[in-house]
Amino acid sequence: MSSDTPTSPGPTEGATGGSEVSTDGNAFFECNICLDTARDAVVSMCGHLFCWPCLHQWLETRPNRQTCPVCKAGISKDKCIPIYGRGASDQQDPREKLPPRPQGQRSEPENNGGFPGFGFGDGGFQMSFGIGAFPFGIFASTFNFNDGRPGPAQPGTPQHSEEQFLSKVFLWVAILFMFWLLIA
Amino acid sequence: MANIAVQRIKREFKEVVKSDEAAKSMIHLDMGSSENMMELTGTISGPPDTPYAGGTYILDIRIPETYPFNPPKVKFNTKIWHPNISSATGAICLDILKDQWAAAMTLRTVLLSLQALLASPEPDDPQDAVVAKQFKENPDIFFQTATHWTQAYAKGSTPVPEYSDKVTQLMGMGFEEHKARVALSNNNWNVECATENLLS
Ligand SMILES: [Zn+2]
Ligand SMILES: [Zn+2]
Repeated sequence: MSSDTPTSPGPTEGATGGSEVSTDGNAFFECNICLDTARDAVVSMCGHLFCWPCLHQWLETRPNRQTCPVCKAGISKDKCIPIYGRGASDQQDPREKLPPRPQGQRSEPENNGGFPGFGFGDGGFQMSFGIGAFPFGIFASTFNFNDGRPGPAQPGTPQHSEEQFLSKVFLWVAILFMFWLLIA
Repeated sequence: MANIAVQRIKREFKEVVKSDEAAKSMIHLDMGSSENMMELTGTISGPPDTPYAGGTYILDIRIPETYPFNPPKVKFNTKIWHPNISSATGAICLDILKDQWAAAMTLRTVLLSLQALLASPEPDDPQDAVVAKQFKENPDIFFQTATHWTQAYAKGSTPVPEYSDKVTQLMGMGFEEHKARVALSNNNWNVECATENLLS
């Protein structure tokens, strides 16, 4: 844990000195909110870089209208990708910090590039891949159309029990449907 | 004061000073007298080919604690005749200073947006209803009035002799200069209506 790495913010008192003026190379990795070198960096689906604490605060400021601070594309915690550099001076797991940074998401290779309009836009189209409480991925992705909720809810919350209830309903609907198919 | 706000203002100040626009003296930013840098003074020049051309407009900028998550509070210190700016208070109606603010915007983009607002008024979203009405219904009078205000308040160099004469006329009747100008501007430079207005 050395504290005097080049990426650390450094002394802030001598603001008029030249030390803060970023070289062109560093400007590339500046957070679009605090304009400092991004720490606990995340990138939005539209490709804009932020510190996770900065972006988190921006999303908290406007919970009802979450847009990218740079390009105003739709943005949400779930659609942000954390960036892990090599040999970072800070070895603490950023997810243990507050606010927690969103975790990286791994999708199956065959899904790559197959979905037009994936994850973008105002429609709130959301892929769910059948994880979490939904046993039927097809139902999950169908019923998540225009649903602003960010993915499966945490256990114990009202949303969770609601989703559990819904999943049971879907399960019974599906069973009845297959039963009907067998009879017909 | 939140540290992020102070840090950002310092960086933004440099950004404006180094900008091409500052080099062409289109925009300018001054540290206020306050030590914490949360009150600044901006300057924009009136865009060419507008009634504000040649004018210099001073802006009061106040940085909120929650900057940059909330927009800076900006108003015109220099009096101006514009549909989206109050001729009485200098309050500005501009979406990016309200709900369209985004945290990646800076004082430089705010100053440039205000300059763009001078070049393209939006009378359908007015701050000053009287000015907006004149802009729509009597565009020639609006243009002359705005030009006259630029000369009177913003160091503009294009005179509008007819209007200056009318102001002088009302001043001769004992009315204060600015009040006379406001009354005349509000009444499409009809001296009788303006006088009635001043006496009522
Ligand atoms: Zn940041
Ligand atoms: Zn973006």
